[in-house]
Amino acid sequence: MIAGPLLLLVLPLVMAGVVYLVLRWHTLAALLAVGTAAVLGIAVIYLPVDEAVAVAGGRQVAMGETVSFMGRELILEQADQIGMAYLFFASAVLFLLAWRFTPGSLLFPLGLGLLGLLGGALLIRPLIYAALLLEIAAALAVFALQVEGRPPTRGGLRYLTFTTMALPGLMVTHWLLERYAVTPDETGLLTAAAILLSVSFAMLLGTVPFHAWVSSVIDDGMPLAGAFVLTVSNGTIWFLLLDFLETYPWLQGHALFGPVLSAAGLVMVVFGGLLAAGRRRLGPLVGYASLVDSGAALIALGMSSSVGVTLAIFSLLVRPIGLILLASGLSGLRERSGGSDQIEDIQGLGWKAPWSTAALILGTMSVAGWPISAGFVARWALGRELMAHSPTTALLLLLAGVAVMMGMWRGLSALLTRPRESKDRSVFSGVSSEGWVTAVVVIAAMLVCVGIGLFPQGLASVAVSLAGGAFLP
Amino acid sequence: MPTLGELVARVSFLAAMPAVAGVIITAGILVVNREWRLNVIALTVQYFFVVLLLTRMIRLEVAAVKGLIGWLICMVFYMTERRASAISQAQESETAAVPERWRRWVLSARASFFLLAGLLISVAAYTAALRMPLPEVPTDITLACYILIGLGLLQIGLGEQPMQVGLGLLTFVSGVDLFYVALEPSLAVAGLLGAASFLIALATAYLRTAQVTATQEGGAA
Repeated sequence: MIAGPLLLLVLPLVMAGVVYLVLRWHTLAALLAVGTAAVLGIAVIYLPVDEAVAVAGGRQVAMGETVSFMGRELILEQADQIGMAYLFFASAVLFLLAWRFTPGSLLFPLGLGLLGLLGGALLIRPLIYAALLLEIAAALAVFALQVEGRPPTRGGLRYLTFTTMALPGLMVTHWLLERYAVTPDETGLLTAAAILLSVSFAMLLGTVPFHAWVSSVIDDGMPLAGAFVLTVSNGTIWFLLLDFLETYPWLQGHALFGPVLSAAGLVMVVFGGLLAAGRRRLGPLVGYASLVDSGAALIALGMSSSVGVTLAIFSLLVRPIGLILLASGLSGLRERSGGSDQIEDIQGLGWKAPWSTAALILGTMSVAGWPISAGFVARWALGRELMAHSPTTALLLLLAGVAVMMGMWRGLSALLTRPRESKDRSVFSGVSSEGWVTAVVVIAAMLVCVGIGLFPQGLASVAVSLAGGAFLP
Repeated sequence: MPTLGELVARVSFLAAMPAVAGVIITAGILVVNREWRLNVIALTVQYFFVVLLLTRMIRLEVAAVKGLIGWLICMVFYMTERRASAISQAQESETAAVPERWRRWVLSARASFFLLAGLLISVAAYTAALRMPLPEVPTDITLACYILIGLGLLQIGLGEQPMQVGLGLLTFVSGVDLFYVALEPSLAVAGLLGAASFLIALATAYLRTAQVTATQEGGAA
């Protein structure tokens, strides 16, 4: 019998090795990576946790069986199922787009390796070991973020630095809470744990003033690897935070929990919006747009209500599609402008790379929370909820979305500058260098993005069940 | 042939304040100095002193494994920098005159500033060790932890090059490790922290290689 957690952690690591060996055959490597992530995502969703089932070859798989790793327990609980599925499906979409935009990159094997580690971080108990696995994952992500032949990525280095700096806080928190369980009258331990936990998660989530890595992972790193960090790795941090809140409910009950979270989120939204509006390059714009999105999710969580938690989870679930589209578009445009994303260097590129441009536009709309994209539904629901309690916050959130689109508008006007010769203007002529396979993949991803925007009920019900069933005290 | 235990017993007289002083000096060198050979030696010696301090809190074998990981990291840095240095020298000989060797040893304005900042951090660490002692850890080791964490952070903040930031990160992790083994001396944590340190070193070396390659290609163009 195969234990589920072992399958979820070992298979990506084994496949990472296989994909690395076949990396020179771009399509094979990419499809193996997509297939592995998608199959594991489906397995997490459809295989029951409470009983063993026979799969291909007659072998039995028990998803809920506990596995011991270095004396620690790895458990797939029902609450972790959605988190794990999120990691696998987001990675599958990302690998699919990376197949067309960064073929043959180290992102495929390293992404699978990172999936194993991040999955381990979600499943391992106690949570302190998750912090160590996150640190290892951050060090591995640096390899994926580095673009070949370019100067060393500052974004990767900063990401590693902030993850390392968050490590001691998470580790010591565990010890403080264990000690508090023995001596419950020492309330100072709880205060110390709350402060350490807040600062550590602030660094990991890239809240202001620890946001330096957020804009630079995409700015000078490989955009799709940056999107992996901002969606899959960052998603793991969010699920860990929710795990912490579930394990230590007194944190949510703390008087300062809501106000601190809301204030941190609002600062991120305002800061991200202001900086995004003033950018003359597309790379940092993606990072600042992501900052606004994370800020919105924090504001939702800071509402300290079932609706708030649901909206935070919903915002988390819809984020990958927008960011991945955005990073794919940026990747395609950089490839055709010699690695630059300056406004001056992308003049008229929209006519040569229409699908990259389309991905960039729809991705930005989603991250900025504009209709009819996936991000709109989460942002709109949050805005409506905020209008009742804090109209100023709702207005600032709306303005931040507008600011992100303003930043993109400048890029868009450069991209769509009309070429002098009319033969270069047709999207359907042979001018587009992207090919029909890229077009099909981008259209499919865009349809998913718009589909979620138009029919959000499926994901919304997942968010509701996750918030109600697992993360609310 | 003496056993590991006998070897450590011979140098155990160093495992208190002398080791702390050694940690302060080596971490200070890493902050101020930019000559890679001296930095690699300083990091090697720093791991030796950290291992000596660790032997007071955890089993000798575990401390020795941590030391081995540290020295492997030094080996990775040595090989990377040696190769990078060879490429840089080849480029310099083609493009410009080689800077005079004595210049490396003159304390520049930058180094003076780093020295001053390092001294300030050390004073702050000393005060913190007296006023906010870490739980489960003796005072001298508390000082070593604060020094390693403080100077590591300073180096990360002041460093622009991957190697400087990497050395700062490893110094920081050594400080955290020295403290955390007292709280949880488990093999799993030791193993995962060792793996994390080694991967930080590999990532740093990879970025350093990318830096040299990019410079080389820029020069060729």
